[in-house]
Amino acid sequence: MRCTKTLLPILLCAAALNAPAATYVLTVAGLGGEPDYEQRFTGLATETDKILRTGQTDRVVETLKGADATKAKMEAVLAKFAASARPADAFVLMMIGHGTYDGVEYKFNLPGPDVSAKELATLLNKIPAGRQLVVNMTSCSGGSVEALKKDNRVIVTATKSGTEKNATVFARYWVEALRDPAADVDKNETISALEAFNYAQKKTAEFYTEQKRIATEHPQIDEQQRASAFALLRFGSAAAVVTDPAKRALITKKEEIEGKIDELKYQKSLLAPDDYKKQLTALLLELSKLQDQIDK
Amino acid sequence: MMRRANSPDLVSRRRPVMTAVALTCAALLAGGALQAQTIARAEALWKARDYDGANGEFKALVAAQPKNADYRVRWGDLFYERFNPADAQKLYEEALELNPKQARALLGIARIIADQFGGKADEAAQKALEADPKLYEAHELMARIALEDDNPKKATEQADAALAINPDALEAISIHAAMDLLADKQSTWLPKIGSRGVGYETVAHFYVINRRYEEGIELYRKAIAVAPDLYSAHSQLGINLMRLGREEEALKELEFAYENHFRDAQTVNSLRLMESYSKFDTFHYPNFILRFNKKEAAVLKPYFEIEMTRVLETYDKKYQTKLKTPVQIEVYPDHEDFAVRTMGMPGLGALGVTFNSVIAMDSPSGRPPGTFHWASTLWHEMSHVYVLNITNERVPRWFTEGLAVHEETAAAPDWGDRVTPEILAAMRDKKLLPVAEIDRGFVHPTYEAQVIVSYFEAGRICDYIGQRWGEQKLLDMIHEFAKNRPTVDVIREQLGMEPEAFDMDFMAALDKELGKAVAGFGDWTKQIREIAALAKDGKSDEVIEKGKAVEAIYPDYVEAGNVYSFVADACLAKGDKTCAMEELGRYSKIGGRDPERVKQLAKLQDEASRKKEAAATLQRLTYIYPQDAELHERLGALSLENGDPASAVREYRALIGMNPIDQAGAHYNLARALKANGRNDEAREEAVASLEAAPNFRPAQKILLELSGDGKN
Repeated sequence: MRCTKTLLPILLCAAALNAPAATYVLTVAGLGGEPDYEQRFTGLATETDKILRTGQTDRVVETLKGADATKAKMEAVLAKFAASARPADAFVLMMIGHGTYDGVEYKFNLPGPDVSAKELATLLNKIPAGRQLVVNMTSCSGGSVEALKKDNRVIVTATKSGTEKNATVFARYWVEALRDPAADVDKNETISALEAFNYAQKKTAEFYTEQKRIATEHPQIDEQQRASAFALLRFGSAAAVVTDPAKRALITKKEEIEGKIDELKYQKSLLAPDDYKKQLTALLLELSKLQDQIDK
Repeated sequence: MMRRANSPDLVSRRRPVMTAVALTCAALLAGGALQAQTIARAEALWKARDYDGANGEFKALVAAQPKNADYRVRWGDLFYERFNPADAQKLYEEALELNPKQARALLGIARIIADQFGGKADEAAQKALEADPKLYEAHELMARIALEDDNPKKATEQADAALAINPDALEAISIHAAMDLLADKQSTWLPKIGSRGVGYETVAHFYVINRRYEEGIELYRKAIAVAPDLYSAHSQLGINLMRLGREEEALKELEFAYENHFRDAQTVNSLRLMESYSKFDTFHYPNFILRFNKKEAAVLKPYFEIEMTRVLETYDKKYQTKLKTPVQIEVYPDHEDFAVRTMGMPGLGALGVTFNSVIAMDSPSGRPPGTFHWASTLWHEMSHVYVLNITNERVPRWFTEGLAVHEETAAAPDWGDRVTPEILAAMRDKKLLPVAEIDRGFVHPTYEAQVIVSYFEAGRICDYIGQRWGEQKLLDMIHEFAKNRPTVDVIREQLGMEPEAFDMDFMAALDKELGKAVAGFGDWTKQIREIAALAKDGKSDEVIEKGKAVEAIYPDYVEAGNVYSFVADACLAKGDKTCAMEELGRYSKIGGRDPERVKQLAKLQDEASRKKEAAATLQRLTYIYPQDAELHERLGALSLENGDPASAVREYRALIGMNPIDQAGAHYNLARALKANGRNDEAREEAVASLEAAPNFRPAQKILLELSGDGKN
């Protein structure tokens, strides 16, 4: 997970990651319409639920699938989250299934009445969590962006607009990103929303290329910078290191070097290749040695 | 090109055009002066190359005289000449509805079929002759088809029949000239072509379809010299220069044709293809040149380098010759780009094509994963390069194709194509051709799968000769064909038997090999359905038992719904990984290519600590679908575990060439492999590349520290 290219946001980002806050997650597998889709959507939601319930304890996880994935139950869970979440917390909504878009309004297909993007926005706006992520992986999901937009909310959709109506494969790769360590491209043992998105987007594109099919979905993300700071999943020792007060000075030094590396990378095109490589190697060595000390 | 009457060379077209005009005008005189003026105007506009104007006139004329079949035929001829055979055919068919005996409409349809090397062209031309026995162009068309089928006797008869009606029939004269020149004889017919460029185009066409591109190019040049405005010849000259890799002159000729409104599909697509060359990277080696699309060069280059080195070494020894010029290999990720290369050529040409020392082929990424074995195709095409080189392009199609198919499985038994249900059906229906006539199956197929069946048959004939008389006999035959001798003579002299006797022996051997599959095919189909039903019901024991029995009937079937997969899944359902591994091992050994199944086998082997076998299984997949990041990652790891760091370096480089999501991991693994190879400076570079992507990646930090001595920069 990469935060940003300047020092100040890096520190803010680190603070955001370090804060002992909870993450509220709701996953909903909507109406399949036919057994194959029903099975697929339910399977993906089950797998997501299992991944999210493993390891970390600072997460509140709710999953709705099959006959339970109704509008009323969705409203109930979101109301519960609205009552318990605090501004320091994070909130994630993942929607798997079919959507529709009539040119004006997006709807998420559920058993019984569907829920529209506008209705969803009203429900989500009641949740006080300061950082929010909506991952709408349904067909036509691009049609939901306008209604769901909010300053503190990152929105990921499987399609670029409401007019991409075919069933999507993006959800399959989003879930895969949560369990594939390769998705953690900066190897900090945390998968950010941006890393998961990049992973799923690339795999989705490869799917259509390999199958020799015209791509009928083009995933979108609206806030890359905020998405890079949105920790979806932590594993390994990541959390332990950042919360160890004894090593605070070393960690601060380390963050400074990371900042310098980011600055250098930002200037890569302005430097001679040899000069860039020399400076980068020096910083990376320094960082490596420092990490050795932290590990000791 | 002689097949297509799309040339504005009015000299060559004058006779049929004027005959038609005369006939039509005579018919119209009875109908009134207004229509006569209109047809004359349409023809005049056409002659003046105002094709839109002529089209408008014909449209008005047909609207005014809807019952006149002749007008529709002439309008169809205009469409045909201006690269629109679909509309031409529609008009010919409309004409035939009005007058089923309209000979020129029947001829028009025959020409369209012949242009696509359709098997029914001769029959259609025959119908035209029945409608008008004096239609010498129908004899000319039949002569052309016969010569394309390598049947000079019939070609001579038909050309002579055309000349008996019209002693100056250009195409008949040209076909006689082509037959002489193809037989390496001086031709008394060639001077009779005189200054009629189309005649030289016809001869050039025959050179080209017999893979004698250089001589074809010379004839196209001659056509242009006598008829500089013969734009079809400029186009064909450009296309054939492009085929041989002479791109600068090719582009000039193609652009000249295009600028002069000669814009048939071949010209337009060839120009588009040449424009796309800027997206390609070219790599030069002492004996070969590789050209890849930039986006996949990094992945494919190492594998093609290895195979080219291997195939050149093998064939140098086998064919006892060294190639005089470097071979150029062009690999197209977009099948349509590759298809441009084969437009207007007979045969399948679906995967690769050889033009003397230039090979154009599909990239593995141009096909769905598992449907294409690129190394097999490369070895196939390379065999053509050697055979064409040794014979100076004097070799029948069946033999060079058969030998190339033979070489695929000689390289590795699981390479090459498996026996398909279409082939079994052709054998059952006795549709295989005698060796003396097998070329026909490649050029003018009479049923849908005949080209595939012909490749199979020719390949098996070469296998049979190799087994019965030894591989050296195949080389002897190549040298005999180089003397431009016909198949029947070579069979008689080299194999010491009559072609008919050879056919009998060969068919008996083939029956011994595949008779069981042919006889049991109907039952096999039924049983496969039953196994699918049993699998659906979860009856694993029955699937395994029945599946293994069915496998023995037709073991070559490895496509969708193959029995190996059913059995392997049933084994896994029972938790018997050894059984699944053995079954998938059989699938892979016999040539199964579904990447997911092959990877599944490698995983089972890996889990069973059969690491070397797992690596070999994945190695096989690099010949089938190398554009798979997971494949390189797993094979790289296995290679390191097996103490083969050189292979690991290759695999991790290929992985990086695919621009993987996990850049840090890929560079780190390459650093490990390089370090294991003792290439520490390169390893350090890769460690830095890994950390550039992920500065806090501990394993890469550790390797960087290790490779930097005491850690000081």
